[in-house]
Amino acid sequence: MGTVTALAGVGAAVRRALSAVGAAARFGGDVVVSSRDYLTWFPQAFQQAWRLGIGSLPLALFISAFTGIVLALLASYSFTGAVPLYFVGTLVEKTITLELAPVLTGLALAGRVGANIAAELGTMRITEQIDALETLGYDPLAFLVVPRIIAGVTMFPVVVGAAMLVGVGAGWIASVLLLHLSTPEFVKGLRLFFQTFDVQYGLVKSASFGLAVTAIGSRRGLSTQGGAEGVGRAATSAVVYSAIFILVLDAFWAVTWLLGHEVSR
Amino acid sequence: MKRINDALVGLVTVAVVVALVVAVTWVRQADIGRHQRTVVARFRDVGNARVGNAVVIRGVVGGRIEGIELGETGWVDVRMKLDPTVRLPRDPVVLLNESSLFGEWQATIVEREALPADDVVQREIAAATVPGDRLPGASLPGIGKLTAVAGQIAGDVATVAGRVEVAFDDSAARELRGSFRNVAELSSTLAKVVRSHASDLDTLSRQLSGVIGSLDRATRTVEVTAQRVDSATTSPEMRNIVTDLSVGAVELRRTATQVRTLSDRFAASQGHLDVLLANGDSILVKINAGRGSLGLLVNDPTMYYRTDSLVAQLRALAADIQANPKKYVSVRIF
Repeated sequence: MGTVTALAGVGAAVRRALSAVGAAARFGGDVVVSSRDYLTWFPQAFQQAWRLGIGSLPLALFISAFTGIVLALLASYSFTGAVPLYFVGTLVEKTITLELAPVLTGLALAGRVGANIAAELGTMRITEQIDALETLGYDPLAFLVVPRIIAGVTMFPVVVGAAMLVGVGAGWIASVLLLHLSTPEFVKGLRLFFQTFDVQYGLVKSASFGLAVTAIGSRRGLSTQGGAEGVGRAATSAVVYSAIFILVLDAFWAVTWLLGHEVSR
Repeated sequence: MKRINDALVGLVTVAVVVALVVAVTWVRQADIGRHQRTVVARFRDVGNARVGNAVVIRGVVGGRIEGIELGETGWVDVRMKLDPTVRLPRDPVVLLNESSLFGEWQATIVEREALPADDVVQREIAAATVPGDRLPGASLPGIGKLTAVAGQIAGDVATVAGRVEVAFDDSAARELRGSFRNVAELSSTLAKVVRSHASDLDTLSRQLSGVIGSLDRATRTVEVTAQRVDSATTSPEMRNIVTDLSVGAVELRRTATQVRTLSDRFAASQGHLDVLLANGDSILVKINAGRGSLGLLVNDPTMYYRTDSLVAQLRALAADIQANPKKYVSVRIF
Protein backbone atom coordinates (compact mmCIF):
# COMPACT_ATOMS: atom_id res chain seq x y z
CA MET A 1 0.00 0.00 0.00
CA GLY A 2 2.88 2.28 0.93
CA THR A 3 4.65 1.46 -2.32
CA VAL A 4 1.59 2.36 -4.30
CA THR A 5 1.28 5.66 -2.44
CA ALA A 6 4.94 6.47 -3.13
CA LEU A 7 4.58 5.62 -6.80
CA ALA A 8 1.45 7.74 -6.96
CA GLY A 9 3.35 10.65 -5.44
CA VAL A 10 6.13 10.31 -7.97
CA GLY A 11 3.66 10.07 -10.77
CA ALA A 12 1.79 13.14 -9.58
CA ALA A 13 5.03 15.09 -9.37
CA VAL A 14 6.03 14.06 -12.89
CA ARG A 15 2.60 14.91 -14.17
CA ARG A 16 2.72 18.35 -12.57
CA ALA A 17 6.18 18.96 -13.98
CA LEU A 18 5.17 17.84 -17.43
CA SER A 19 1.96 19.78 -17.10
CA ALA A 20 3.94 22.91 -16.26
CA VAL A 21 6.27 22.30 -19.22
CA GLY A 22 3.32 21.68 -21.46
CA ALA A 23 1.54 24.80 -20.23
CA ALA A 24 4.69 26.86 -20.77
CA ALA A 25 5.11 25.43 -24.26
CA ARG A 26 1.48 26.12 -25.04
CA PHE A 27 1.90 29.64 -23.72
CA GLY A 28 4.98 30.13 -25.93
CA GLY A 29 3.12 28.85 -28.96
CA ASP A 30 0.17 31.15 -28.25
CA VAL A 31 2.53 34.14 -27.93
CA VAL A 32 4.15 33.32 -31.26
CA VAL A 33 0.73 33.07 -32.85
CA SER A 34 -0.36 36.34 -31.27
CA SER A 35 2.76 38.13 -32.45
CA ARG A 36 1.27 38.12 -35.93
CA ASP A 37 -1.20 40.74 -34.70
CA TYR A 38 1.37 43.50 -34.93
CA LEU A 39 -1.21 46.23 -35.16
CA THR A 40 -2.17 45.41 -31.61
CA TRP A 41 1.24 44.96 -29.99
CA PHE A 42 3.36 47.43 -31.96
CA PRO A 43 1.95 50.63 -30.38
CA GLN A 44 2.28 49.08 -26.94
CA ALA A 45 5.86 47.96 -27.50
CA PHE A 46 7.35 51.46 -27.25
CA GLN A 47 5.54 52.14 -24.03
CA GLN A 48 6.80 48.89 -22.56
CA ALA A 49 10.30 49.66 -23.88
CA TRP A 50 10.21 52.91 -21.99
CA ARG A 51 8.99 51.28 -18.80
CA LEU A 52 11.17 48.17 -18.91
CA GLY A 53 14.26 49.58 -20.59
CA ILE A 54 14.70 53.28 -20.05
CA GLY A 55 13.13 53.10 -16.63
CA SER A 56 15.62 50.42 -15.63
CA LEU A 57 18.71 52.25 -16.88
CA PRO A 58 19.54 54.08 -13.61
CA LEU A 59 19.44 50.89 -11.60
CA ALA A 60 21.50 48.95 -14.16
CA LEU A 61 24.09 51.72 -14.51
CA PHE A 62 24.36 52.12 -10.76
CA ILE A 63 25.03 48.40 -10.32
CA SER A 64 27.47 48.32 -13.22
CA ALA A 65 29.44 51.36 -12.05
CA PHE A 66 30.04 49.93 -8.61
CA THR A 67 30.80 46.53 -10.08
CA GLY A 68 33.50 48.08 -12.28
CA ILE A 69 35.04 49.91 -9.34
CA VAL A 70 35.06 46.84 -7.12
CA LEU A 71 36.45 44.67 -9.92
CA ALA A 72 39.38 47.01 -10.46
CA LEU A 73 40.17 47.05 -6.75
CA LEU A 74 39.80 43.29 -6.46
CA ALA A 75 42.08 42.77 -9.44
CA SER A 76 44.81 44.97 -8.01
CA TYR A 77 44.43 43.17 -4.67
CA SER A 78 44.81 39.79 -6.36
CA PHE A 79 47.68 40.76 -8.61
CA THR A 80 50.02 41.85 -5.81
CA GLY A 81 53.44 41.90 -7.37
CA ALA A 82 53.21 38.78 -9.48
CA VAL A 83 51.08 40.09 -12.33
CA PRO A 84 51.52 43.46 -14.06
CA LEU A 85 48.92 45.96 -12.94
CA TYR A 86 47.80 46.71 -16.49
CA PHE A 87 46.01 43.35 -16.42
CA VAL A 88 43.39 45.19 -14.34
CA GLY A 89 42.07 46.54 -17.64
CA THR A 90 41.94 43.04 -19.11
CA LEU A 91 40.10 41.62 -16.14
CA VAL A 92 37.62 44.48 -15.93
CA GLU A 93 36.82 44.31 -19.65
CA LYS A 94 36.46 40.55 -19.82
CA THR A 95 34.47 40.22 -16.62
CA ILE A 96 32.13 43.12 -17.27
CA THR A 97 31.33 42.39 -20.92
CA LEU A 98 31.19 38.63 -20.76
CA GLU A 99 29.52 38.04 -17.42
CA LEU A 100 28.76 40.68 -14.86
CA ALA A 101 27.00 43.29 -16.93
CA PRO A 102 24.54 40.81 -18.50
CA VAL A 103 23.98 38.66 -15.42
CA LEU A 104 23.81 41.34 -12.72
CA THR A 105 21.67 43.55 -14.90
CA GLY A 106 19.49 40.58 -15.76
CA LEU A 107 19.05 39.66 -12.11
CA ALA A 108 18.30 43.24 -11.18
CA LEU A 109 15.78 43.56 -13.96
CA ALA A 110 14.31 40.20 -13.03
CA GLY A 111 13.36 41.75 -9.71
CA ARG A 112 12.24 45.02 -11.12
CA VAL A 113 10.70 44.06 -14.45
CA GLY A 114 9.65 40.47 -13.77
CA ALA A 115 7.88 41.33 -10.55
CA ASN A 116 6.32 44.39 -12.14
CA ILE A 117 4.92 42.43 -15.07
CA ALA A 118 3.67 39.58 -12.87
CA ALA A 119 2.02 41.94 -10.43
CA GLU A 120 0.45 44.07 -13.15
CA LEU A 121 -0.91 41.17 -15.18
CA GLY A 122 -1.90 39.31 -12.01
CA THR A 123 -3.89 42.28 -10.82
CA MET A 124 -5.53 42.55 -14.22
CA ARG A 125 -6.33 38.88 -14.05
CA ILE A 126 -7.93 38.93 -10.65
CA THR A 127 -9.81 42.13 -11.41
CA GLU A 128 -11.12 40.53 -14.61
CA GLN A 129 -9.67 43.25 -16.82
CA ILE A 130 -8.21 40.55 -19.04
CA ASP A 131 -11.62 38.97 -19.36
CA ALA A 132 -12.92 42.38 -20.32
CA LEU A 133 -10.28 42.68 -23.03
CA GLU A 134 -11.31 39.32 -24.41
CA THR A 135 -14.90 40.45 -24.31
CA LEU A 136 -13.96 43.56 -26.28
CA GLY A 137 -12.31 41.38 -28.89
CA TYR A 138 -8.72 42.05 -27.94
CA ASP A 139 -6.22 39.24 -27.83
CA PRO A 140 -4.77 39.60 -24.28
CA LEU A 141 -1.50 37.97 -25.40
CA ALA A 142 -1.06 40.35 -28.34
CA PHE A 143 -2.11 43.33 -26.24
CA LEU A 144 -0.31 42.57 -22.97
CA VAL A 145 2.37 39.89 -23.41
CA VAL A 146 3.87 40.29 -26.88
CA PRO A 147 4.79 43.99 -26.44
CA ARG A 148 6.40 43.25 -23.10
CA ILE A 149 8.42 40.38 -24.54
CA ILE A 150 9.43 42.43 -27.59
CA ALA A 151 10.44 45.28 -25.30
CA GLY A 152 12.38 42.93 -23.05
CA VAL A 153 14.25 41.26 -25.89
CA THR A 154 15.17 44.58 -27.51
CA MET A 155 15.76 46.76 -24.47
CA PHE A 156 17.70 44.34 -22.29
CA PRO A 157 20.70 44.44 -24.71
CA VAL A 158 20.45 48.23 -24.77
CA VAL A 159 20.51 48.44 -21.00
CA VAL A 160 23.30 45.85 -20.76
CA GLY A 161 25.31 47.64 -23.47
CA ALA A 162 25.11 50.85 -21.49
CA ALA A 163 26.02 48.91 -18.37
CA MET A 164 29.10 47.54 -20.14
CA LEU A 165 30.27 51.02 -21.07
CA VAL A 166 29.65 52.41 -17.60
CA GLY A 167 31.21 49.40 -15.87
CA VAL A 168 34.42 49.52 -17.87
CA GLY A 169 34.53 53.29 -17.57
CA ALA A 170 34.09 53.08 -13.80
CA GLY A 171 36.86 50.49 -13.62
CA TRP A 172 39.06 52.79 -15.65
CA ILE A 173 38.41 55.78 -13.40
CA ALA A 174 38.93 53.68 -10.27
CA SER A 175 42.22 52.35 -11.66
CA VAL A 176 43.49 55.82 -12.41
CA LEU A 177 42.31 57.46 -9.19
CA LEU A 178 42.67 54.68 -6.66
CA LEU A 179 45.33 52.38 -8.09
CA HIS A 180 47.51 55.11 -9.65
CA LEU A 181 47.44 53.16 -12.90
CA SER A 182 48.02 55.36 -15.91
CA THR A 183 45.42 55.57 -18.64
CA PRO A 184 47.76 54.09 -21.32
CA GLU A 185 48.45 51.12 -19.05
CA PHE A 186 44.76 50.49 -18.42
CA VAL A 187 44.02 50.81 -22.13
CA LYS A 188 46.88 48.44 -22.92
CA GLY A 189 45.33 45.82 -20.64
CA LEU A 190 41.89 46.61 -22.03
CA ARG A 191 43.04 45.98 -25.59
CA LEU A 192 45.25 43.04 -24.78
CA PHE A 193 42.69 40.26 -25.13
CA PHE A 194 39.67 42.22 -26.32
CA GLN A 195 37.53 40.69 -29.03
CA THR A 196 34.31 41.88 -30.58
CA PHE A 197 32.94 38.51 -29.64
CA ASP A 198 33.00 39.56 -25.97
CA VAL A 199 30.42 42.27 -26.62
CA GLN A 200 28.36 40.13 -29.00
CA TYR A 201 28.22 37.34 -26.47
CA GLY A 202 27.10 39.64 -23.67
CA LEU A 203 24.41 41.30 -25.77
CA VAL A 204 22.95 38.07 -27.14
CA LYS A 205 22.93 36.60 -23.66
CA SER A 206 21.15 39.65 -22.29
CA ALA A 207 18.52 39.38 -25.05
CA SER A 208 17.82 35.83 -23.95
CA PHE A 209 17.57 37.06 -20.36
CA GLY A 210 15.07 39.69 -21.47
CA LEU A 211 13.01 37.02 -23.17
CA ALA A 212 13.09 34.81 -20.09
CA VAL A 213 12.25 37.57 -17.58
CA THR A 214 9.33 39.03 -19.55
CA ALA A 215 7.93 35.66 -20.59
CA ILE A 216 8.10 34.28 -17.06
CA GLY A 217 6.62 37.46 -15.57
CA SER A 218 3.78 37.43 -18.11
CA ARG A 219 3.11 33.73 -17.61
CA ARG A 220 3.08 34.04 -13.82
CA GLY A 221 0.88 37.13 -14.00
CA LEU A 222 -1.66 35.60 -16.38
CA SER A 223 -1.91 32.48 -14.28
CA THR A 224 -2.54 34.40 -11.04
CA GLN A 225 -5.31 33.04 -8.91
CA GLY A 226 -6.89 34.41 -5.78
CA GLY A 227 -6.67 37.94 -4.49
CA ALA A 228 -3.78 40.13 -3.46
CA GLU A 229 -2.05 37.13 -1.99
CA GLY A 230 -2.10 35.44 -5.38
CA VAL A 231 -0.60 38.55 -6.93
CA GLY A 232 2.18 38.51 -4.37
CA ARG A 233 2.85 34.84 -5.01
CA ALA A 234 2.90 35.49 -8.75
CA ALA A 235 5.38 38.34 -8.35
CA THR A 236 7.60 36.34 -6.07
CA SER A 237 7.59 33.26 -8.25
CA ALA A 238 8.25 35.40 -11.31
CA VAL A 239 11.38 36.83 -9.69
CA VAL A 240 12.56 33.45 -8.47
CA TYR A 241 11.97 31.66 -11.75
CA SER A 242 13.49 34.52 -13.71
CA ALA A 243 16.64 34.44 -11.59
CA ILE A 244 16.90 30.68 -11.97
CA PHE A 245 16.37 30.89 -15.70
CA ILE A 246 18.96 33.64 -16.02
CA LEU A 247 21.57 31.49 -14.34
CA VAL A 248 20.57 28.43 -16.36
CA LEU A 249 20.71 30.40 -19.60
CA ASP A 250 24.07 31.85 -18.53
CA ALA A 251 25.44 28.33 -18.19
CA PHE A 252 23.74 27.27 -21.40
CA TRP A 253 25.39 30.04 -23.43
CA ALA A 254 28.74 29.39 -21.79
CA VAL A 255 28.64 25.72 -22.73
CA THR A 256 27.17 26.04 -26.19
CA TRP A 257 28.73 29.29 -27.47
CA LEU A 258 31.59 30.48 -25.29
CA LEU A 259 33.19 27.05 -25.09
CA GLY A 260 32.63 26.44 -28.80
CA HIS A 261 34.18 29.80 -29.64
CA GLU A 262 37.19 29.07 -27.45
CA VAL A 263 37.70 25.71 -29.16
CA SER A 264 37.25 27.00 -32.70
CA ARG A 265 39.53 30.05 -32.53
CA MET B 1 3.69 62.57 -23.67
CA LYS B 2 3.56 59.16 -25.29
CA ARG B 3 5.34 60.55 -28.34
CA ILE B 4 8.07 62.01 -26.19
CA ASN B 5 8.53 58.65 -24.48
CA ASP B 6 8.85 56.91 -27.83
CA ALA B 7 11.42 59.46 -28.92
CA LEU B 8 13.36 58.97 -25.71
CA VAL B 9 13.35 55.19 -26.16
CA GLY B 10 14.65 55.59 -29.70
CA LEU B 11 17.22 58.15 -28.61
CA VAL B 12 18.57 56.02 -25.80
CA THR B 13 18.66 52.93 -27.99
CA VAL B 14 20.50 54.69 -30.78
CA ALA B 15 22.85 56.38 -28.33
CA VAL B 16 23.76 53.11 -26.64
CA VAL B 17 24.27 51.34 -29.96
CA VAL B 18 26.43 54.15 -31.29
CA ALA B 19 28.43 54.31 -28.07
CA LEU B 20 28.99 50.57 -28.14
CA VAL B 21 30.11 50.62 -31.77
CA VAL B 22 32.46 53.54 -31.13
CA ALA B 23 33.89 51.89 -28.03
CA VAL B 24 34.47 48.56 -29.74
CA THR B 25 36.06 50.28 -32.72
CA TRP B 26 38.32 52.29 -30.47
CA VAL B 27 39.36 49.31 -28.34
CA ARG B 28 40.04 47.21 -31.42
CA GLN B 29 42.05 50.08 -32.91
CA ALA B 30 40.18 49.55 -36.14
CA ASP B 31 40.88 51.98 -38.96
CA ILE B 32 37.55 52.73 -40.59
CA GLY B 33 37.88 53.58 -44.23
CA ARG B 34 41.52 52.54 -44.42
CA HIS B 35 42.26 49.55 -46.56
CA GLN B 36 44.29 47.15 -44.51
CA ARG B 37 46.65 44.69 -46.09
CA THR B 38 46.14 40.99 -45.46
CA VAL B 39 49.12 38.69 -45.12
CA VAL B 40 48.88 34.94 -44.68
CA ALA B 41 51.56 32.84 -43.06
CA ARG B 42 51.62 29.10 -42.60
CA PHE B 43 52.82 27.19 -39.59
CA ARG B 44 53.12 23.66 -38.38
CA ASP B 45 51.83 24.72 -34.96
CA VAL B 46 50.57 28.05 -33.69
CA GLY B 47 51.10 27.40 -29.99
CA ASN B 48 48.85 29.66 -27.92
CA ALA B 49 48.47 32.36 -30.58
CA ARG B 50 44.90 33.65 -30.76
CA VAL B 51 42.83 35.88 -32.95
CA GLY B 52 43.48 39.48 -31.98
CA ASN B 53 47.10 39.01 -30.95
CA ALA B 54 49.45 41.75 -32.08
CA VAL B 55 51.62 41.55 -35.19
CA VAL B 56 54.97 43.18 -34.45
CA ILE B 57 57.56 44.44 -36.91
CA ARG B 58 60.85 45.64 -35.46
CA GLY B 59 59.18 45.95 -32.05
CA VAL B 60 56.28 48.08 -33.27
CA VAL B 61 52.71 46.80 -33.42
CA GLY B 62 51.75 46.92 -37.08
CA GLY B 63 48.59 44.83 -37.14
CA ARG B 64 46.51 42.05 -35.62
CA ILE B 65 45.96 38.37 -36.19
CA GLU B 66 42.63 38.23 -37.98
CA GLY B 67 42.11 34.51 -38.34
CA ILE B 68 43.63 31.12 -37.61
CA GLU B 69 42.50 28.24 -39.79
CA LEU B 70 43.55 24.71 -40.55
CA GLY B 71 45.14 24.75 -43.97
CA GLU B 72 46.63 22.03 -46.11
CA THR B 73 47.42 18.73 -44.51
CA GLY B 74 49.56 19.36 -41.48
CA TRP B 75 49.61 23.15 -41.81
CA VAL B 76 47.85 26.04 -40.09
CA ASP B 77 47.17 29.29 -41.94
CA VAL B 78 47.36 32.49 -39.91
CA ARG B 79 45.74 35.52 -41.52
CA MET B 80 47.11 38.87 -40.39
CA LYS B 81 45.77 42.35 -41.07
CA LEU B 82 48.53 44.91 -41.36
CA ASP B 83 48.35 48.67 -41.36
CA PRO B 84 48.68 50.08 -44.88
CA THR B 85 51.79 52.04 -43.92
CA VAL B 86 53.66 48.96 -42.75
CA ARG B 87 56.41 47.75 -45.07
CA LEU B 88 57.44 44.16 -44.80
CA PRO B 89 61.16 43.45 -44.54
CA ARG B 90 63.02 41.78 -47.39
CA ASP B 91 62.40 38.03 -47.51
CA PRO B 92 60.04 38.10 -44.49
CA VAL B 93 59.26 35.21 -42.18
CA VAL B 94 56.85 35.09 -39.24
CA LEU B 95 57.62 33.89 -35.74
CA LEU B 96 54.95 33.21 -33.13
CA ASN B 97 56.27 33.78 -29.67
CA GLU B 98 55.22 34.74 -26.17
CA SER B 99 55.42 38.45 -25.56
CA SER B 100 55.10 38.20 -21.79
CA LEU B 101 55.11 35.69 -18.99
CA PHE B 102 51.34 35.68 -18.83
CA GLY B 103 50.35 33.76 -21.91
CA GLU B 104 50.28 36.77 -24.18
CA TRP B 105 51.48 35.82 -27.69
CA GLN B 106 52.39 37.84 -30.71
CA ALA B 107 53.41 37.33 -34.33
CA THR B 108 56.77 38.85 -35.15
CA ILE B 109 57.71 39.50 -38.78
CA VAL B 110 61.47 39.46 -39.31
CA GLU B 111 63.94 39.01 -42.12
CA ARG B 112 65.00 35.47 -42.80
CA GLU B 113 68.61 36.46 -42.08
CA ALA B 114 67.58 37.71 -38.63
CA LEU B 115 66.17 34.36 -37.54
CA PRO B 116 67.51 33.02 -34.25
CA ALA B 117 70.30 30.47 -34.60
CA ASP B 118 68.05 27.58 -33.70
CA ASP B 119 68.10 24.46 -35.85
CA VAL B 120 64.47 23.61 -35.12
CA VAL B 121 63.26 27.07 -36.11
CA GLN B 122 65.43 27.11 -39.22
CA ARG B 123 64.07 23.72 -40.28
CA GLU B 124 60.47 24.79 -39.64
CA ILE B 125 60.95 27.92 -41.70
CA ALA B 126 62.59 25.98 -44.51
CA ALA B 127 59.76 23.45 -44.51
CA ALA B 128 57.10 26.18 -44.50
CA THR B 129 58.65 28.05 -47.42
CA VAL B 130 56.54 27.69 -50.54
CA PRO B 131 56.33 29.71 -53.72
CA GLY B 132 53.57 32.30 -53.64
CA ASP B 133 52.32 34.93 -51.24
CA ARG B 134 52.22 32.81 -48.10
CA LEU B 135 54.96 33.66 -45.67
CA PRO B 136 56.80 30.86 -43.94
CA GLY B 137 56.32 30.72 -40.18
CA ALA B 138 57.52 28.97 -37.07
CA SER B 139 56.46 29.07 -33.45
CA LEU B 140 58.97 29.47 -30.69
CA PRO B 141 58.55 27.41 -27.53
CA GLY B 142 56.49 29.08 -24.84
CA ILE B 143 57.51 29.80 -21.30
CA GLY B 144 55.50 26.81 -20.14
CA LYS B 145 57.37 24.44 -22.42
CA LEU B 146 60.72 25.93 -21.44
CA THR B 147 59.80 25.68 -17.78
CA ALA B 148 58.79 22.05 -18.26
CA VAL B 149 62.13 21.28 -19.95
CA ALA B 150 64.00 23.14 -17.22
CA GLY B 151 62.09 21.17 -14.61
CA GLN B 152 62.97 17.93 -16.35
CA ILE B 153 66.64 18.92 -16.46
CA ALA B 154 66.54 19.83 -12.79
CA GLY B 155 65.02 16.43 -12.02
CA ASP B 156 67.75 14.67 -14.01
CA VAL B 157 70.43 16.64 -12.21
CA ALA B 158 68.88 15.71 -8.88
CA THR B 159 68.88 12.05 -9.91
CA VAL B 160 72.54 12.21 -10.94
CA ALA B 161 73.42 13.99 -7.71
CA GLY B 162 71.65 11.28 -5.74
CA ARG B 163 73.54 8.56 -7.56
CA VAL B 164 76.85 10.34 -7.01
CA GLU B 165 75.99 10.60 -3.35
CA VAL B 166 75.37 6.84 -3.21
CA ALA B 167 78.56 6.02 -5.12
CA PHE B 168 80.82 8.37 -3.13
CA ASP B 169 81.09 6.47 0.17
CA ASP B 170 84.01 6.33 2.72
CA SER B 171 86.15 3.91 0.72
CA ALA B 172 85.79 6.08 -2.38
CA ALA B 173 86.88 9.06 -0.31
CA ARG B 174 89.96 7.18 0.98
CA GLU B 175 90.87 6.09 -2.56
CA LEU B 176 90.43 9.63 -3.71
CA ARG B 177 92.73 10.90 -0.96
CA GLY B 178 95.36 8.26 -1.96
CA SER B 179 95.03 9.36 -5.55
CA PHE B 180 95.62 12.95 -4.49
CA ARG B 181 98.81 11.90 -2.60
CA ASN B 182 100.06 10.01 -5.66
CA VAL B 183 99.40 12.99 -7.82
CA ALA B 184 101.33 15.20 -5.37
CA GLU B 185 104.37 12.87 -5.43
CA LEU B 186 104.24 12.69 -9.19
CA SER B 187 104.13 16.43 -9.44
CA SER B 188 107.17 16.85 -7.13
CA THR B 189 109.16 14.35 -9.22
CA LEU B 190 108.22 16.20 -12.33
CA ALA B 191 109.36 19.43 -10.69
CA LYS B 192 112.79 17.94 -9.95
CA VAL B 193 113.17 16.73 -13.51
CA VAL B 194 112.20 20.09 -14.79
CA ARG B 195 114.71 21.86 -12.52
CA SER B 196 117.55 19.53 -13.61
CA HIS B 197 116.87 20.12 -17.26
CA ALA B 198 116.12 23.73 -16.90
CA SER B 199 119.66 24.93 -17.85
CA ASP B 200 119.75 22.68 -20.92
CA LEU B 201 116.39 23.87 -21.91
CA ASP B 202 117.55 27.42 -21.32
CA THR B 203 120.58 26.96 -23.62
CA LEU B 204 118.50 25.25 -26.20
CA SER B 205 115.98 27.98 -26.05
CA ARG B 206 118.72 30.65 -26.46
CA GLN B 207 120.10 28.81 -29.48
CA LEU B 208 116.66 28.48 -30.85
CA SER B 209 116.19 32.15 -30.22
CA GLY B 210 119.41 32.90 -32.15
CA VAL B 211 118.35 30.70 -35.00
CA ILE B 212 115.03 32.34 -35.05
CA GLY B 213 116.76 35.73 -35.05
CA SER B 214 118.92 34.67 -37.98
CA LEU B 215 115.90 33.39 -39.77
CA ASP B 216 114.21 36.65 -39.02
CA ARG B 217 117.11 38.67 -40.42
CA ALA B 218 117.31 36.43 -43.48
CA THR B 219 113.62 36.85 -43.96
CA ARG B 220 113.97 40.59 -43.71
CA THR B 221 116.86 40.53 -46.20
CA VAL B 222 114.83 38.47 -48.59
CA GLU B 223 111.96 40.80 -48.04
CA VAL B 224 114.14 43.84 -48.74
CA THR B 225 115.57 42.14 -51.85
CA ALA B 226 112.12 41.29 -52.98
CA GLN B 227 111.09 44.86 -52.42
CA ARG B 228 114.08 46.06 -54.38
CA VAL B 229 113.41 43.63 -57.19
CA ASP B 230 109.84 44.73 -57.07
CA SER B 231 110.81 48.42 -57.16
CA ALA B 232 113.46 47.73 -59.83
CA THR B 233 111.02 45.95 -62.05
CA THR B 234 108.68 48.83 -61.75
CA SER B 235 111.39 51.59 -62.34
CA PRO B 236 111.80 53.38 -65.73
CA GLU B 237 115.49 52.32 -65.96
CA MET B 238 114.49 48.73 -65.89
CA ARG B 239 111.93 49.44 -68.52
CA ASN B 240 114.70 51.01 -70.70
CA ILE B 241 116.95 48.02 -70.10
CA VAL B 242 114.22 45.70 -71.16
CA THR B 243 113.62 47.86 -74.23
CA ASP B 244 117.36 47.81 -75.05
CA LEU B 245 117.45 44.09 -74.53
CA SER B 246 114.57 43.77 -76.93
CA VAL B 247 116.41 45.86 -79.51
CA GLY B 248 119.62 43.83 -78.92
CA ALA B 249 117.65 40.63 -79.34
CA VAL B 250 116.36 41.88 -82.66
CA GLU B 251 119.87 42.76 -83.81
CA LEU B 252 121.21 39.47 -82.53
CA ARG B 253 118.48 37.73 -84.46
CA ARG B 254 119.56 39.64 -87.60
CA THR B 255 123.29 38.80 -87.00
CA ALA B 256 122.38 35.16 -86.53
CA THR B 257 120.65 35.27 -89.88
CA GLN B 258 123.76 36.71 -91.49
CA VAL B 259 125.97 34.15 -89.78
CA ARG B 260 123.64 31.48 -91.03
CA THR B 261 124.10 32.86 -94.62
CA LEU B 262 127.86 32.96 -94.20
CA SER B 263 127.81 29.46 -92.88
CA ASP B 264 125.92 28.33 -95.95
CA ARG B 265 128.44 30.01 -98.19
CA PHE B 266 131.27 28.56 -96.22
CA ALA B 267 129.68 25.13 -96.63
CA ALA B 268 129.63 25.71 -100.40
CA SER B 269 133.28 26.86 -100.37
CA GLN B 270 134.15 23.82 -98.33
CA GLY B 271 132.63 21.67 -101.09
CA HIS B 272 134.76 23.39 -103.68
CA LEU B 273 137.82 22.98 -101.45
CA ASP B 274 136.99 19.29 -101.03
CA VAL B 275 136.91 18.91 -104.81
CA LEU B 276 140.16 20.89 -105.09
CA LEU B 277 141.86 18.77 -102.47
CA ALA B 278 140.61 15.61 -104.15
CA ASN B 279 142.09 16.81 -107.45
CA GLY B 280 145.35 17.78 -105.71
CA ASP B 281 145.46 14.46 -104.03
CA SER B 282 145.06 12.61 -107.33
CA ILE B 283 147.86 14.77 -108.82
CA LEU B 284 150.12 14.01 -105.90
CA VAL B 285 149.27 10.31 -106.21
CA LYS B 286 150.26 10.50 -109.86
CA ILE B 287 153.41 12.40 -108.98
CA ASN B 288 154.29 9.84 -106.33
CA ALA B 289 153.58 7.08 -108.80
CA GLY B 290 156.04 8.73 -111.15
CA ARG B 291 153.51 9.31 -113.81
CA GLY B 292 153.61 12.37 -116.00
CA SER B 293 156.35 14.87 -116.45
CA LEU B 294 156.25 16.16 -112.89
CA GLY B 295 156.24 12.58 -111.59
CA LEU B 296 159.21 11.73 -113.66
CA LEU B 297 160.87 14.94 -112.58
CA VAL B 298 160.26 14.17 -108.91
CA ASN B 299 160.99 10.46 -109.00
CA ASP B 300 163.76 10.16 -111.76
CA PRO B 301 167.23 11.43 -110.65
CA THR B 302 168.35 11.49 -114.20
CA MET B 303 165.92 14.11 -115.00
CA TYR B 304 167.16 16.09 -112.00
CA TYR B 305 170.66 15.88 -113.11
CA ARG B 306 169.83 16.85 -116.62
CA THR B 307 167.88 19.76 -115.39
CA ASP B 308 170.75 20.73 -113.10
CA SER B 309 173.12 20.45 -116.02
CA LEU B 310 170.79 22.57 -118.09
CA VAL B 311 170.68 25.16 -115.37
CA ALA B 312 174.47 25.16 -115.21
CA GLN B 313 174.69 25.58 -118.95
CA LEU B 314 172.15 28.41 -118.83
CA ARG B 315 174.11 30.11 -116.02
CA ALA B 316 177.29 29.75 -118.19
CA LEU B 317 175.46 31.10 -121.20
CA ALA B 318 174.20 34.06 -119.20
CA ALA B 319 177.73 34.79 -118.02
CA ASP B 320 179.02 34.55 -121.53
CA ILE B 321 176.38 36.90 -122.80
CA GLN B 322 177.25 39.37 -120.06
CA ALA B 323 180.90 39.03 -121.05
CA ASN B 324 180.51 39.08 -124.76
CA PRO B 325 177.26 40.77 -125.60
CA LYS B 326 178.27 41.54 -129.12
CA LYS B 327 178.56 37.85 -129.69
CA TYR B 328 175.03 37.43 -129.23
CA VAL B 329 173.49 40.89 -129.82
CA SER B 330 174.11 43.04 -132.95
CA VAL B 331 172.61 46.44 -133.14
CA ARG B 332 172.39 48.06 -136.51
CA ILE B 333 171.15 51.40 -137.50
CA PHE B 334 169.99 51.69 -141.00
